[in-house]
Amino acid sequence: MKILKFVLIGVILFFIIFPLFMMTKYSISDRESIVTGGEYPEPFFPFKPTLEMFGVLWSRSDFMKAGLTSLWVGLFAVAFSLLLGAPTAYALARFRIPGVAILLFFLLSVRLFPDISAVIPVAELLLSRPFSLLPPVVLVGLAHTLLALPYTVYIAKGVFESIPRDLEEQAFVLGAAKSRTFFKILTPLALPGLGAAAIYTFFLSWNEFIFAYFLTFQGTETTLPVYLLRILSWSPQKNFISAISLLICVPVIIFTFLVQRYMREGLTAGAVK
Amino acid sequence: MSGSIKPSSLLLKLKSNLFTIGFFIPAFLYLFSFFVIIVVFLLKFSFSGNVPLLHLLSVDEFKAALWRSFWFMGVGTPLQLVVGLLLALLIQQSFKGVGMVRSLFMIPIAIPALVTAIIIDLLFSYPLGPINDLLLGRHAFFPQIVSLPVNWSGSEFLSLGLAILGKTWRDMPISMLILLAGLHSIELEQYEAAKTMGARSWQQFKYLTLPLLTPAILTILILRSIENWKEFVFPFVLAPAYPLLGVLIERLYHVEQNPALAASVALGLVILIALTTLIFTTITKMVRKYLVRV
Repeated sequence: MKILKFVLIGVILFFIIFPLFMMTKYSISDRESIVTGGEYPEPFFPFKPTLEMFGVLWSRSDFMKAGLTSLWVGLFAVAFSLLLGAPTAYALARFRIPGVAILLFFLLSVRLFPDISAVIPVAELLLSRPFSLLPPVVLVGLAHTLLALPYTVYIAKGVFESIPRDLEEQAFVLGAAKSRTFFKILTPLALPGLGAAAIYTFFLSWNEFIFAYFLTFQGTETTLPVYLLRILSWSPQKNFISAISLLICVPVIIFTFLVQRYMREGLTAGAVK
Repeated sequence: MSGSIKPSSLLLKLKSNLFTIGFFIPAFLYLFSFFVIIVVFLLKFSFSGNVPLLHLLSVDEFKAALWRSFWFMGVGTPLQLVVGLLLALLIQQSFKGVGMVRSLFMIPIAIPALVTAIIIDLLFSYPLGPINDLLLGRHAFFPQIVSLPVNWSGSEFLSLGLAILGKTWRDMPISMLILLAGLHSIELEQYEAAKTMGARSWQQFKYLTLPLLTPAILTILILRSIENWKEFVFPFVLAPAYPLLGVLIERLYHVEQNPALAASVALGLVILIALTTLIFTTITKMVRKYLVRV
């Protein structure tokens, strides 16, 4: 029984790792290893591993531009959703608000629509004037804020609930205004928890495809996933596509591993009622 | 005296409420206005177009996509449940290195769906690709299974199968985590009691784990069926020739430049998801009642 269990774990790990291994393999493949002409099977490790493709990408301005766009969209989404979400979460955590259940439902309601259904009205709205005058980075950032905001509010609400009320009361006794208490006392304490929300938002934005695709369908400025799809449509070179894919994945995988404990803390902090 | 205090206390109250409202309103307003915009646009568009919502079923494209989406949902949901259950059972009990295994099991969710779909597309490429190499028996360690390379994207069955495979691969950590939480909520004493009474591990699974896990399983069925109905990225990359509802929406909007019909289909998808959720919730309630009676 125990042996069977470890064999099964091994098989599953193989199925998880294999596609990622192949992606990495393709990204460092030389020409002979991917263009076989059918004379020999593709090797499972390149004949002459090379980092050539990464050099090519480094010198390609359109790739670097897409990377920067992704970065800015993510940072915009983080900043905007924290700016909007943290105060709302604080109000939900601290004050008695009549009809709070209905309000909470409306906070989440936007996410009840499938992305592919919601994207049509959002694209129709944001791609018409006056919104279309805004740069694409802001448009996609606004859409990603829409996706991340409900989660930000929920995580931040738990974070604020976990901070003792006494602190605020002491600040009140000492004569601090509510807004001052919020920005000077609560926000620094809540930062680690809000950091979890920020990381969640950033990677949601980094990985997001549908909204970015619809909102930048015609422009040249676009995020990495959409750039990858465009490359796929004109150049089916396995090593080039794989190198881009790898570069998109690497930050997410590293962060998932590095901040796993931190994120779990942040998320459980958000979960405690 | 009291008359002079009252207004000032009222003012204070209003001031404090203003603060609450001011804090609460930004995110709420943002989400709520988008909610209204989405609802209004979808309704307006789907009733202004040439094909009213109720006549969608007479559009052949829609019927075909609906049928494919139904199969995608019907096959994908139980498959994802079984895979999630398997993963959760494997790491339910603690052993040396369980944390590492769990971290590795979490990897797929970190990979963007689009990248996963593209890797699968590369692996199953036609006529020359790693999987076709394997099936043709071109590697010494693998027996030959087919004599001609398989054209995966050229067949409706195979390409949608690949899309289901990709969706299952990427989302398995989600089902795993929910089921794992369900498994951990089962008390160890119950297993001890079952062991004392001589239950074998299969009997423990069948008579103890499965019934107690029913709520978590039903949650997965609801979440996964919604998720599969609305799937876009995997079929979009892997089965572009055989559109599901999501892919049809994109095509109508971008290729055929028909936002009205796209909105109709989008609204149809929302209604389908609502119906599925309703059906599953009813089943959940019935099962709960049945379980309580037993």
